[in-house]
Amino acid sequence: MTAPHRTTARHRPRPDEALVRVGRALRWVILAALALLFLVPFYLLVRNGLAAEPDITSPGWTFFPSTLHWSNVRELFDDPAVPMARSLLNSALIAVATTVGTLLFASLAGYGLARIPYRFANQVFYAVIGTLMVPAAVTFVPSFVLVSSLGWVSSLRGLIIPTLFSGFACFIFRQFFTGFPRELEDAARVDGLGYWRTYWRIVVPNARPVFAAVGTIVFIGAWNSFLWPLVIGQDRDAWTVQVALSTFTTAQVVNLHELFVAAAVSIVPLVLVFLLLQRYIVAGVERSGIDD
Amino acid sequence: MRRRVSDNTLWFWIFVGPFAAGLALFTYVPLLWSVYLSFFDAHNTVSPTDFVGFDNYTAMLRDGAFTSSLGTFAVFSLFIVPATYALALGLALMVNRIRRFQAFFRSVFFLPAACSYVVAALIWKMSIFNGVRFGLANTVLGWFGADQTAWLSTTHPPWYWLVIVTVRLWLQAGFYMILFLAGLQRISPRLYEAAAVDGARPGWQVFRHITFPQLRTTSIAVVLLLVINAFQAFDEFYNLLSDARGYPPYARPPLVYLYYTALGQGQNLGMGSAGAVILALIIAVVTVFQARWFGLGRKEAD
Amino acid sequence: MTISRRTLLGTGAALGLLTACGSNTGRDKGSSPGGKVTLDHWYHQYGEAGTEAAVRRYAAAYDKAKVSVQWRPGNYDQQTAAALLTSSGPDVFEVNGPTLDQIQGGQVADLTALFDGVKDDFNPAVLAPKTYDGKIWGVPQVVDTQFLYYRKSLLKDAGVQPPATLDELVDAAKALTRNKVKGLFLGNDGGAGVLGGTPLYAAGLSLVTADGRVGFDDPAAARTLGKLHQLYADKSLLLGAPSDWSDPSAFLQGLTAMQWSGLWALPAVQKALGDDFGVLPFPKDGPNGKPSVPVGAYAAAVSTRSKHQVEAKAYVKWLWVERTDFQEDFALSYGFHIPARLSLAKKAAKLRQGAAADAVTYATDHGYAQPLLWTPTLQTAYQDALNRIVKDGASPDSELKSVIRKTKDELQRVKKS
Repeated sequence: MTAPHRTTARHRPRPDEALVRVGRALRWVILAALALLFLVPFYLLVRNGLAAEPDITSPGWTFFPSTLHWSNVRELFDDPAVPMARSLLNSALIAVATTVGTLLFASLAGYGLARIPYRFANQVFYAVIGTLMVPAAVTFVPSFVLVSSLGWVSSLRGLIIPTLFSGFACFIFRQFFTGFPRELEDAARVDGLGYWRTYWRIVVPNARPVFAAVGTIVFIGAWNSFLWPLVIGQDRDAWTVQVALSTFTTAQVVNLHELFVAAAVSIVPLVLVFLLLQRYIVAGVERSGIDD
Repeated sequence: MRRRVSDNTLWFWIFVGPFAAGLALFTYVPLLWSVYLSFFDAHNTVSPTDFVGFDNYTAMLRDGAFTSSLGTFAVFSLFIVPATYALALGLALMVNRIRRFQAFFRSVFFLPAACSYVVAALIWKMSIFNGVRFGLANTVLGWFGADQTAWLSTTHPPWYWLVIVTVRLWLQAGFYMILFLAGLQRISPRLYEAAAVDGARPGWQVFRHITFPQLRTTSIAVVLLLVINAFQAFDEFYNLLSDARGYPPYARPPLVYLYYTALGQGQNLGMGSAGAVILALIIAVVTVFQARWFGLGRKEAD
Repeated sequence: MTISRRTLLGTGAALGLLTACGSNTGRDKGSSPGGKVTLDHWYHQYGEAGTEAAVRRYAAAYDKAKVSVQWRPGNYDQQTAAALLTSSGPDVFEVNGPTLDQIQGGQVADLTALFDGVKDDFNPAVLAPKTYDGKIWGVPQVVDTQFLYYRKSLLKDAGVQPPATLDELVDAAKALTRNKVKGLFLGNDGGAGVLGGTPLYAAGLSLVTADGRVGFDDPAAARTLGKLHQLYADKSLLLGAPSDWSDPSAFLQGLTAMQWSGLWALPAVQKALGDDFGVLPFPKDGPNGKPSVPVGAYAAAVSTRSKHQVEAKAYVKWLWVERTDFQEDFALSYGFHIPARLSLAKKAAKLRQGAAADAVTYATDHGYAQPLLWTPTLQTAYQDALNRIVKDGASPDSELKSVIRKTKDELQRVKKS
């Protein structure tokens, strides 16, 4: 990953050593300052989540509270009014299933649109990207009525299946596969493989980065979506973590430290996924042609 | 050709069919339903009987609150698109040039993308930009003796824009930085070498004559995505500014206004749908215009 | 090349897997073992601790049907509105209404028969907005009211008397504003949301008159609303507090000397401040003015999409008409509310002393309920106008003119249907 820059940097002209050094130092200072600034919100979330209520609202608010109350975390999970553990599990289930399903449907469709000759392929493609321009909130009520008439309210089915068909994901896959080197597939074709087996044996293994990139975007979206799970997940057993979180923000009397600790807990899984996978994500975005 | 056309057609639908069916059922059916509703007086019903033609459309276009929400969107884009573009590009250029801790910086700037708008809005509203003495912004300003400011409630000057724009900037700058980094990777080192031979000074000249032009496709994609996303802005506005009694008349983007029109107790689905159709048309026109303007799709025409 | 059977199987398996992962979380609607029907009863999320356990306890005590209580956080109006369009919505639900469009759209059942012989025992002020066309569409649960809390000690320190007129309120708020303590908290939006029609009633006007016409087409309206801008312009208002007007935190944290909030906040205020607080109605303004406080009630309503309307009505009658013990518990044990039944309100000991007694007196003497004809559309239009008047210093005259025009149109629309 870093190798190309090294080459670039080594070949870069260096007319004035002192100037370059000043520039480099300046770059470091700016980057470090910005990095700190980017981390402050995360710090505040944790700081307030682990503070006693008076520490959050005291007139002499300080950046570093005197004590951290880890008991806030236990208090959150013990709160009978909010099924935090269950909703984390639901969110994980929904996010994983949505990600897997979206990747499956969108990649197949993207490949078909990119590679299989068909008279109306362009029209189908336009119909797909057309959906990118329709804000989801717009079709919200009819969608709800539709899903409800299927009898899917308060079920994981209703929470997952309607969200599996992402025009955005399909668009990305189609763009990626269009730029995919044909030689590989041609070789497979010569070996007598049809579209189906070519796809699974040759194309998919060579497209891992784009799967990682799209998967991450879909996973984040699924984990963070709010309005749909709120309205579909009517039973408490079907609450997602975002819905559970909203119980703290919409309460008549706001319990600040519990709200913050719940928010912090709600982003921990995503942050972990991110830190673990970020190498692949970056590589994926760089090779996916999202930006082409 | 061994393969017959009908075989291709069949295979096309095997690959695309499941997705297309799902898209048709879960996106197009509700969409067409909304279009249908927009021609009816549909209060609290999805199966209206009172056909009103284009009345909902004319009423919506004459509704000052709706048109001013389009203005809000325009202002928002004017802030957020250049700001994100500049910050993301700046970060990418700097991160790309450092040799050590590159992965660390990249992670730090990218990490906010994992945060939901709900959580980010919470931190911004309750902790950084709350209007009282224990907000971070007011605490910092207090060190310099400044008065406390009610960031989200003040309309003169409109400080709420600072809150709204910074929250989105924080959330999305890292993502676009990654796109720019990818673009930078693709620039051939030879171009820089050639520039050095020609005597171009590193820094501004190289950026202006090599880096920036080479990032053209990335830039176009970034601007397109930024504009589409700005149009669909809802979450941070809603979470920052709504309260139990509704939403203030300022900083109210189209989707928030439609949300209050079509959902909730004043469930005017006819007007809401009409507004939605108008909005979707505007997005389509803007996108197509932008794509044409930037010459996007030329590559595909080759 | 033709499609192999394996291919088809593969695709089928993938689809099957997806369908299987959507196993139902196990709510079966309709009848349960033992032949009893299951009724879904929705409540919005109450802030007071214990409320949820209480309503579950009531539901469990009903023996003619199995009642499944759903406690709904966040965006309650949006959730019920969407759910009422389908048969997967609630059978019984509480609603800050029902709204005129819900009634006219036939979404809620006529509950008039439930009131046989007890109608006069319900607080008439809150029953009126549940009545349309001579029929009653929801059973009021408890009466909520709002008023002004003030810190006695802070007023004394500043040499300020509890304000009796709007002008005095403006002056008092200004005098009470110190460096880090503001004079008055009317919500983070500066008051437009929570005050609503209250200032109009304080000026002796109304939102909609009894005979269904615009109630504020009067120069006094502009004059009164203009004074709210003065509060804002004086920088006497607390804005941007982390919690809104419904939560007494800002008042208790000493961020403000006076706060507009609800009766439900009274126990918390009492606990924190002891005797160091008092309550006031919104002060009168102008020659025809009178003090005013808003009253309102969440009502229990029955969805017409329910497959068990008869059972649902019987259950509502049992809980909200017959079981006065539960009604009393619900009103008084979890935060303070005034029972919707006059007979219960009279014997509520908790509401007969101190600030609570004052608040109940205000609600009885000066209470106004938002009329049914004041639709959500009008509320938005009026609230937008009020917001611009308060914050931008927009001309109350011209803002009100456009609201009046809109009100006339809307009243025309709802009369037509």
